[in-house]
Amino acid sequence: MQPPLGNERPPPPGRPVSAFVPGAAVPPPPFAAGGPFARPPQSGATAPAFGAAPPAAMGGFRGPPPSQGGPFGAGPPPQGPFTTSAPPSQGPFASAPPSQGLFASAPPSQGPFATAPPSQSPFTSPPPSQVPFAAGPPPTGPFAATPAPFRPPPSSLAQPQSPTGGALPPPPTYARPTQGYYTGAPPANPQFPMSRPAFQQPVQTMPPPPMGPAATFGNQAAYAGPPVGGTLQSLVEDFQSLALSSAPGSLDPGVDVKGLPRPLDGDEEPVKLMEAYPLNCHPRYFRLTTHVIPASQSLVSRWHLPLGAVVHPLAESPDGEEVPVINFGSAGVIRCRRCRTYINPYATFADSGRKWRCNLCTLLNDVPGEYFCALDASGRRYDIDQRPELSKGTVEFVAPTEYMVRPPMPPSYFFLIDVSVSAVRSGLLQVVAKTIKSCLDELPGFPRTQIGFLTFDSTLHFHNFKSSLSQPQMMVVADLDDVFLPLPDDLLVNLVDSRHVVESFLDSLPNMFHDNVNVESALGPALKAAFMVMSQIGGKLLVFQSTLPSLGIGRLRLRGDDVRAYGTDKEHTLRVPEDPFYKQMAAEFTKNQIAVDIFSFSEKYSDIASLGSLAKYTGGQVYHYPSFQAPTHGDKLKLELNRDLTRETAWESVMRIRCGKGVRFTTYHGHFMLRSTDLLALPAVDSDKAFAMQLSLEETLMTTQTVYFQVALLYTSSSGERRIRVHTAAAPVVTDLSEMYCQADTGAIVSLLGRIAVENSLSDKLDSVRQQLQLKLVRSLKEYRNLYVVQHRIGGRLIFPESLRFLPLYILAICKSLALRGGYADVSLDERCAAGFSMMILPVNRLLNFIYPSLYRVDEVLTMEPNKIDASLKRLPLTFQCLDTGGLYLLDDGFTFLVWLGRMLPPELVNNILGLSLANFPDLSKIQLRESDNELSRNFMKILRTLREKDPSYHQLCRVVRQGEQPREGYLLLSNLVEDQMAGTSSYVDWILQIHRQTQS
Amino acid sequence: MVFVWLTAFFLVVALIVLVIYQLMCLADLEFDYINPFDSSSRINKVVMPEFVLQALLSVLFLLSGHWAMFLLSLPLVYYNYTLYQRRQHLVDVTEIFNQLGREKKRRLFKIVSLIVLLFLSLFWLSGSV
Repeated sequence: MQPPLGNERPPPPGRPVSAFVPGAAVPPPPFAAGGPFARPPQSGATAPAFGAAPPAAMGGFRGPPPSQGGPFGAGPPPQGPFTTSAPPSQGPFASAPPSQGLFASAPPSQGPFATAPPSQSPFTSPPPSQVPFAAGPPPTGPFAATPAPFRPPPSSLAQPQSPTGGALPPPPTYARPTQGYYTGAPPANPQFPMSRPAFQQPVQTMPPPPMGPAATFGNQAAYAGPPVGGTLQSLVEDFQSLALSSAPGSLDPGVDVKGLPRPLDGDEEPVKLMEAYPLNCHPRYFRLTTHVIPASQSLVSRWHLPLGAVVHPLAESPDGEEVPVINFGSAGVIRCRRCRTYINPYATFADSGRKWRCNLCTLLNDVPGEYFCALDASGRRYDIDQRPELSKGTVEFVAPTEYMVRPPMPPSYFFLIDVSVSAVRSGLLQVVAKTIKSCLDELPGFPRTQIGFLTFDSTLHFHNFKSSLSQPQMMVVADLDDVFLPLPDDLLVNLVDSRHVVESFLDSLPNMFHDNVNVESALGPALKAAFMVMSQIGGKLLVFQSTLPSLGIGRLRLRGDDVRAYGTDKEHTLRVPEDPFYKQMAAEFTKNQIAVDIFSFSEKYSDIASLGSLAKYTGGQVYHYPSFQAPTHGDKLKLELNRDLTRETAWESVMRIRCGKGVRFTTYHGHFMLRSTDLLALPAVDSDKAFAMQLSLEETLMTTQTVYFQVALLYTSSSGERRIRVHTAAAPVVTDLSEMYCQADTGAIVSLLGRIAVENSLSDKLDSVRQQLQLKLVRSLKEYRNLYVVQHRIGGRLIFPESLRFLPLYILAICKSLALRGGYADVSLDERCAAGFSMMILPVNRLLNFIYPSLYRVDEVLTMEPNKIDASLKRLPLTFQCLDTGGLYLLDDGFTFLVWLGRMLPPELVNNILGLSLANFPDLSKIQLRESDNELSRNFMKILRTLREKDPSYHQLCRVVRQGEQPREGYLLLSNLVEDQMAGTSSYVDWILQIHRQTQS
Repeated sequence: MVFVWLTAFFLVVALIVLVIYQLMCLADLEFDYINPFDSSSRINKVVMPEFVLQALLSVLFLLSGHWAMFLLSLPLVYYNYTLYQRRQHLVDVTEIFNQLGREKKRRLFKIVSLIVLLFLSLFWLSGSV
């Protein structure tokens, strides 16, 4: 058993410090000795003083690793402590801007620092005030350019909040490490729409600040961990804060825009948990929203964020970390008799190895004779190293026949292809036929794989693939009201036996319907027919639908263009299936182990809301290609279909999450169907699907110290083996709310919140969904504020835990995401629903990238050597101010690449990359990027390839837009710049101010 | 008159049986004795008969001129009607677990009002005998 977290070091009174905060564990950096804080902690070292300390003092301390590489080897102090105390995840925004602020606003000889006697400073060699400038560029550059009004009087930053500010020790101690940032040349354009580097991530050549807006940014970072002992240190670790008080008389809102926290490193997996709980499964499989369990109901009610977990049972593991497969043989899978928990590393052995105690329900079980092993003196089994199930959080058991209700099914794929006129015209059939043909060799489960096809327009076309035929036979059924199968079998056939028939069918498919002018689409009857064909075996049904289903049962009507419904109580009905047929069909499919993937291609409204429910309840997925045209979208479809067909898939699976006494999972979010209150039925599941769930306490008071969770996924692998994948995790029970905040996992919270919001949008107005999100954020920050506000007197600051520093931005991003943004006119209903379905399955890191896309400046790295390009791609904040008119930018949200061409971009660069000149005003919506024979183009395509390789689950379609090209720029790019103000939504700064106001009230 | 009250009595008993049957299906589902597919199909099978019986009961009261009883049974009929109008009268097999609480509450509420009706008709029955 692991001890509860954070008890290694006696926490200062009233303020427990967690072991997760690295600063706590880090030995004091060298300059601690002479540091001003070495003075006996007098009044100056108490809370208020610290709260008011010039923010740069703290900020500068959070030196990110790049300081290590600073060319000013002489300047910075030994770098060891910095690299250890500042985790790589620390953005430079936390570190660099504050120091900028300091120097911009508080010239060395001014302000509160002046009151500190220099003699107390440890820096006798270089006068502290000179350090940064000595190392930096001539101060005349950026600082001279700073507009005077933006230089708040120093008093405004320190004095109002801190009566003791004057007694504050001099900050230069902290300023030292920052000099690493002042190595670059002054930027060409120091004015506010600044050029990129200042926004860059790990800043290596951070130019001096173009200006310091208000220097009132403060970072009392948990990771800052300055070398001060006792109270002060723990103070620093408690929370981060943003000062939001504006200087009197200035229009500036008083927020350092660049200093706001931004998740430019993407998702931060709580890998540190692995150190505290090495026996837990990796966080890529299982993440709690806060990695502690509150001990009482009252604590839960004060935690206003969702309490739950995100489970990604089949997450792809990196090479070398494959999940061990264990076969117990005749002993059978070792499980607890009572609660059916699988044996796991947290189980303890007793009675000299003859019994084992279940860690979930504490029942003492017998160890089967075959599994027996003696214990050593400390109670460990001697064979623990040979048994991965006793030492690893993630294992896979081979399930014996008791775990089968029928022989393991072969992987089977059935294709339901709409061949009405729009599918033919858009070139869809060619792409689909070609892709399927190219995948035939890679379909999992050789040689058992089954395959079948059914095409339909206003009639259903069955295809006989009997292996003795040389050509497939087509049978047309026109009776849509009473669908029947023209053949008892040979509609779903073994791929190996009938390979030649299937290939000849795929070759002829595009030509077969070449001159089809039928506009109708009888999807409902086709689904019924597919169900009849597949119901014996189960498998995967891929539906290619290019129009609105118009015939037979399940026909749908145009309802997406009803403007009047928006803003009324009926708004949500547009986002739920119109016809109960689809839900009933989905239930039938799940019952028969059929998973449905929807590929929708319609130009016009095709009611994704209804079609998608087929995927939603069968563990499927929705792919949406609005206005599909083979030349432009062909690649995307090809690669995504390829991925869908060839990825490792778990068939006829069920998933259950067991947890220890006192807690219970109540609500589940994702694509599955609940078979019983806690059993998720998943006809097919793969590495691209994650699930989220909320938990609640069953008892008012928890009696245990640790709560264990065990995710068990029972499935049939493509090779026909029944397996159980088991992930085990432990979380401590805490009685302190601040500990909960400390261990909060922003990624998991955002993932869960996003799913809840999407589900709420199915029964509520978008507007109120967004308000609920905001309310949750405000409540949680308010609660957090109440924890500290009294003792620290942090009047004008927005305080938030280090762990949740990105939460406000992410929640803003969810509100502006495709699924939830705006109203009727902002996003088409189909796209909104498709995005909603995607958000319900995306794993944490992809979801975060979807709602807060990555923005890169590309033109500068194109000329570099190819192998250096990856390292020099830096994510930028999503605001228009980052976009330089002379730049080429790339926005990647995981589904689309958007290439933005600045107005002043050199024409030859455009020419090289696009292969055409902008001077002719080409239609950029039809453009396709191809690698042409020059270095720039090669490098550019290499960047795209690298980014695509990072996430193989979707293929990002590349779209090009030039600056000022309305309206495409608006909906492609500007609506994705979530930090900017859009119609009816607030910018990041406004959002922070708004949240701040509301937390104070 | 005795005949009317007797019919009413049996109608109410039948209604109560149907609603209790639905409640049992929901409870079984909650405790994992049956799967959602069976549970919802069983419930959905008896929903329409229940609604029809309820309507019959009201009509019976109306035609026999028992205004007070008619008014008492009217809310339930109206409630059923609105559910039917909104197409929410059948349980949704895909969302049944999320709706479990609501569906149970609905039916408990129905049962309480039906029991009131039962006692009243018993009272009238004994009065008229």
